[in-house]
Amino acid sequence: MVGLPYDCLANPLGAVRFTFEKAIASGADPAALNGKDWGAGDLFRDVLFDQGALSQVPVVNAKNIGHVQPNTLVRFRGMIQDMLGNEFYAGAYKDGSLWRTNKYRDVSQFPMGSSPDMHIWERHLLYCIQVPGLNPWADTSSGTVVARPVGQTSQHGEKRRRADNEDIDQMDIETSEDGVQRSSGVKKLREDGHAYQNLRLPEPVAETTGFGACTMPREEGDSLSCLIKVYDSSDSELKLNDVFEFVGVLTFDSDYQVDNDEFLDSFSEDMLASLPLNKVPRLHCLVHRKLTAHDFLHSTPLELKPHLVKEARETLLSHLTAILGNDGLAAHLVLLHLLSRVHARIDNFAVGKLSVNLTCFNKESVSIFGDHLTLAIKDLLPFSLIVPLTVDHLNAASLAPKKDYERNRLVSGLMQLAEGTHLTIDETQLEVGTLNSVGVDNARLLKYLSEYQKVEYDFKYYKMEVAADFRLLILSEGKSNIFPADLVIPFRPSSVSSGRVVAAEALEAWRWYLATVRSLSHSIDSDMQKVVENDLVAARQANRNLSSQDFSRLLTMGRLMSLSFGETSLSLEHWHMVKELERLRWERFA
Amino acid sequence: MASDTGPSSPDDSFSSPIGNTLSSPDNATARAGGRRRRQPGGSSTPSSFAATPPAHRSRFAASSETTPTPSRTQRRTSGGANGRPFVASTPSSTDDGPPSSECGDGYETAEQMYVWGTNISVQDVNAAIVRFLRNFMEGPLQADSIEEGKYMRELDRVFEIEREWIDIDAQDIYNYDQDLYSKMVRYPLEVLAIFEIVLMDMASTRNPLFEKHIQARIFNLRTSTCMRNLNPSDIEKMVSLKGMIIRCSSVIPEIREAVFRCLICGYYSDPVRVERGRISEPKRCMKEECATKNSMTLVHNRCSFADKQIVRLQETPDEIPEGGTPHTVSLLMHDKLVDAGKPGDRVEVTGIYRAMSVRVAPTQRTVKSLFKTYIDCLHIKKTNKSRMQADDPMEVDNGSNRSEDITFDEQMVEKLKDLSKKPDIYDRLTRSLAPNIWELEDVKKGLLCQLFGGNALKLASGATFRGDMNILLVGDPGTSKSQLLQYIHKLSPRGIYTSGRGSSAVGLTAYVTKDPETGETVLESGALVLSDKGICCIDEFDKMSDSARSMLHEVMEQQTVSIAKAGIIASLNARTSVLACANPSGSRYNPRLSVIDNIHLPPTLLSRFDLIYLILDKPDEQMDRRLAKHIVALHFEDTESVQQDVLDLPTLTAYVSYARKHIHPQLSDEAAEELTRGYVEMRRRGNFPGSSKKVITATPRQIESLIRLSEALARIRFSEWVEKQDVMEAFRLLEVAMQQSATDHSTGTIDMDLITTGVSASERMRRDNLAAATHNVIMEKMQLGGPSMRLIELLEELNKQSSLGEVHLSDLRNAVATLTTEGFVAVHGDTVKRV
Repeated sequence: MVGLPYDCLANPLGAVRFTFEKAIASGADPAALNGKDWGAGDLFRDVLFDQGALSQVPVVNAKNIGHVQPNTLVRFRGMIQDMLGNEFYAGAYKDGSLWRTNKYRDVSQFPMGSSPDMHIWERHLLYCIQVPGLNPWADTSSGTVVARPVGQTSQHGEKRRRADNEDIDQMDIETSEDGVQRSSGVKKLREDGHAYQNLRLPEPVAETTGFGACTMPREEGDSLSCLIKVYDSSDSELKLNDVFEFVGVLTFDSDYQVDNDEFLDSFSEDMLASLPLNKVPRLHCLVHRKLTAHDFLHSTPLELKPHLVKEARETLLSHLTAILGNDGLAAHLVLLHLLSRVHARIDNFAVGKLSVNLTCFNKESVSIFGDHLTLAIKDLLPFSLIVPLTVDHLNAASLAPKKDYERNRLVSGLMQLAEGTHLTIDETQLEVGTLNSVGVDNARLLKYLSEYQKVEYDFKYYKMEVAADFRLLILSEGKSNIFPADLVIPFRPSSVSSGRVVAAEALEAWRWYLATVRSLSHSIDSDMQKVVENDLVAARQANRNLSSQDFSRLLTMGRLMSLSFGETSLSLEHWHMVKELERLRWERFA
Repeated sequence: MASDTGPSSPDDSFSSPIGNTLSSPDNATARAGGRRRRQPGGSSTPSSFAATPPAHRSRFAASSETTPTPSRTQRRTSGGANGRPFVASTPSSTDDGPPSSECGDGYETAEQMYVWGTNISVQDVNAAIVRFLRNFMEGPLQADSIEEGKYMRELDRVFEIEREWIDIDAQDIYNYDQDLYSKMVRYPLEVLAIFEIVLMDMASTRNPLFEKHIQARIFNLRTSTCMRNLNPSDIEKMVSLKGMIIRCSSVIPEIREAVFRCLICGYYSDPVRVERGRISEPKRCMKEECATKNSMTLVHNRCSFADKQIVRLQETPDEIPEGGTPHTVSLLMHDKLVDAGKPGDRVEVTGIYRAMSVRVAPTQRTVKSLFKTYIDCLHIKKTNKSRMQADDPMEVDNGSNRSEDITFDEQMVEKLKDLSKKPDIYDRLTRSLAPNIWELEDVKKGLLCQLFGGNALKLASGATFRGDMNILLVGDPGTSKSQLLQYIHKLSPRGIYTSGRGSSAVGLTAYVTKDPETGETVLESGALVLSDKGICCIDEFDKMSDSARSMLHEVMEQQTVSIAKAGIIASLNARTSVLACANPSGSRYNPRLSVIDNIHLPPTLLSRFDLIYLILDKPDEQMDRRLAKHIVALHFEDTESVQQDVLDLPTLTAYVSYARKHIHPQLSDEAAEELTRGYVEMRRRGNFPGSSKKVITATPRQIESLIRLSEALARIRFSEWVEKQDVMEAFRLLEVAMQQSATDHSTGTIDMDLITTGVSASERMRRDNLAAATHNVIMEKMQLGGPSMRLIELLEELNKQSSLGEVHLSDLRNAVATLTTEGFVAVHGDTVKRV
């Protein structure tokens, strides 16, 4: 009865149990199964990816969480915001003469208090939030894959539910020898099943318009956060701030009570106390995969063909030019900027970053060009944020994530973002004012971020540097000193920006272009290397003021320029284009 | 404890359970064997000690109490017939009181001499512990030694100061009896319980009057576990962890014994002990005449309590892998361990890793499948290993607290020694230092020497010679001086990084403040004192105020900071190396001027720097090409190939720390000879044949620097002897630094006067000539008391005399000023008058 995709989606725990029993039957030692998969993971991977059942698995978000059946298979897309360490649980125990497992469960299904044989296993706890700055188009749950609407299928769901229970009934009869236990187990399940039908979730925020719409992420209750329990995986593959898709079993406990035992309290994993089960759902992860920009595209990824790349590049460039009021140079640089990515770190130096500072903005022009530009970026990239830089904001905002030792949680700051997030910083609103100590810290943090692409997390007794890869676009009147950008360019529009409507296909093509080209690797052949070196030496002989930063910028631009044409090695032509761009840029300062 | 010593214990309650334990060996073997099967090797199930040595207070008792439900040890005898939870047999609080009915319950299954589920014989362990305590001796074993063992002496000390515990070095146990060590680590609850019985027993024989309970506190396990790697198989094992305390709960008084009083008749009950985390209130009055039901009430001030504290330990930053957040673990502290550490302390903790189940609700017996884990703390040691090992070169010889220091583990030492044997270690280390800063090889070598440092010397007369080197980097903007500074700051022990512009004299040295509340004067340390035994990095040295800079004189040579202010007269140690960097006073270095003129630093201070490097941005195509190559490589090649052959930061830090701590090189005769020869040679260079002027090319300060440099170079090789090659390299380093900073540009020779006075010998001669010429002109043109003359006119006159070449107004001013001091002329603004 297991093995069908239907079962795996609606009754994943049944499938887990089935595989576990199979493994035990084939002579596996329960003690040795800690941290090992006995076949459940493989089964689900097979069903989800090879048989393509993944698209049928609903994606949970703040809106539909109230309607999702508990103990069914769901998907959750989020960023790892905090790692809560390991949790030990009674992994396998003997119920009568049968081995049972608690893997992928919160509460043991059968009473196990009297079980003499038990093995403690461990699992990892991750606290995940919706990706900050997720743009509406990239939000899958509101896009193509909509969770099964409840009203429409309620009857059907009811039926299925009953069918499930019957399945379980049968299984219980098959497996359990102890009649009393069986009936109690079934009863419990039934109750659960019904209790969860009208599960009340605290303020399920109907008015949420989408997370990308708000510039300030993470207002509590606004987005769904989830406690993910990960099994059989090493720490090294799951990293802080990574964006993952978790497929697993969703659990709630609506009648969860806070344990008031004094001893337990003072001891209690304080972090869990702040994450009550009736507010934060638990997801027992069966399968997880890291998401790349490609995974947010609606259409299936195209093959990398030269003419497609060329076409996308041309149209995107003209689109950006139009938005930037016919300033072709700025459009070019912004394109390179959008493609930039930290591809290596050597000591403190983040190689490959290209932050852009568009200067000569004022309050009026920002409201025209700035807004159009940020809207365009929002349509192009999966995660983007706008940070209006004001004295008040600097003084008040908590940018760096901070460890709260009282609750033993990492309190997220605005600058805890997923890799590749685009940040538009509007410095035109910055007025004269006094920074308090928080403001000074924040300004220092931003400067450090822009120089080294690292954010210092505050652990009270020490700071921990966490590598970041944010694309920074700064709009300012003069050269920004808070954000020392790699590229400073005076903005010279010649016409009014046109916020024209773009066809969906074109947008989709550009998204694909940006996602694909950005991830290409790049190299330089030895001949070209000579040319570049000679050029650099000549430039330095001519102008002693050129520093290594200038050289780095040129090389980064060269790299991005050839990438923008979909090429993986630097050609002379592109190198000359870059030098020409630099020449034009310098002319603007003259 | 052998069975014959058991009954000799003053407290009979000890002997009875033990006797019990040993009574039915056959039965026990059978049981143990039977159970072993269900507990495969290294399994995660907590093993319990069935024998339940009762003389076992607080620590384990408390932890078993935290397991009020039988879940932690959800095992029954095979078949689960009796259903009695096994937890009863965990050492609970039977203490020294008579065995309660609870005990009897426990012994039902406990009549065995083997540790539950293992093949460990209680007797064997007991005997092994007795042997260890009696016979363990530090140092080489002498067969005919009549001296008592180390721990017997320790025990006597415990009696003297009436302490309640004895610290036992696990390393000693390992050295004496590896089998006992491994048993202790695997079954700490059981072995420690036996340990304490043995201790009690010994205490009673050695000092019958001693009544306190003695705990065994084990520390210094051979392996320390990474918090991240704690896993279910570690449960109920002895572990050692390093971490940082982040939170301490308040002290929780935990009830040990409760006394009840009858409300009706006023009868006081006997003390009731805690059992499984609970005190059972007597249902009825014990007094037979009264026997009222539900009349007993707790009398608080007759109960006894013990301190308990819950402490949270977090991983040290260096153990956190990339992209992870620090893990934490709870520690349970009892009695004397309470408040042993405070938040922010880095500690090494030895304890027993335990798990307890979580109940859904206190009233319910149902158990969630979750476990909370914590460490039952046995011993806590504060460590400070955040940076390179700060070592005190001054206190090397007394070596009293050596053993307290962190020892490098053997593997690491082997690795470091292997590294040191490589012929290219010097170059390799140089490459590893700030690998992203290209070139500046010699500067890096100088910095490397600073990191390793020389030997400090303290003569019997009390005179000290510093071993720390001071380095000054002067250079054009954008030559990565600051980056070098930052790098060294990161690497060095107790490095302090300050910027000259933001530092005041008191901020650097020490200052006296008044405590706002008490009005007491308090001495607060500044950056230099804080970086005692470290490197103080001062950026923008030239922008520092003069007063701040003048404070450095004392620090850099005497290595102390003296304070005489507001009733406090103190001399603080500031044995720090100073690494400073400065920009030339113009935006670029003017090679025509001396270092002093370029950076406006007083020569007195400048001469205290061992090495002064000029980092100049010369238009050099070769350099540019290398820079270009470097950057291209940075951008286009895999980082691995760029960074090959480079030590990573932890290794480098370990290497430096090890060398600073363990290597104290001495001058070999050959090296000393070379040093003298080289120094004489340097001095002689000042005497040009046929020239009467005396140029000083080396000063005694240089020879001290040279010794420090050669010692550091020997340390780099892990060599105990300074060889000739080290001295030669030291000369080379010094000359490279001097050639850059102390070269007189008009003659092209090294002139230490440039550093010590800021004026080279040739310059001084030129000035003397000019002053003489001016004197002559004034004598010629002006009358005594006659009309004054403008400086410009004087300049024209001078320039007519072609012998001096072009004379600048500023030079003339200097000359006139000299004449003024001689009382020859008087200057009013721009006019000169002969007086």
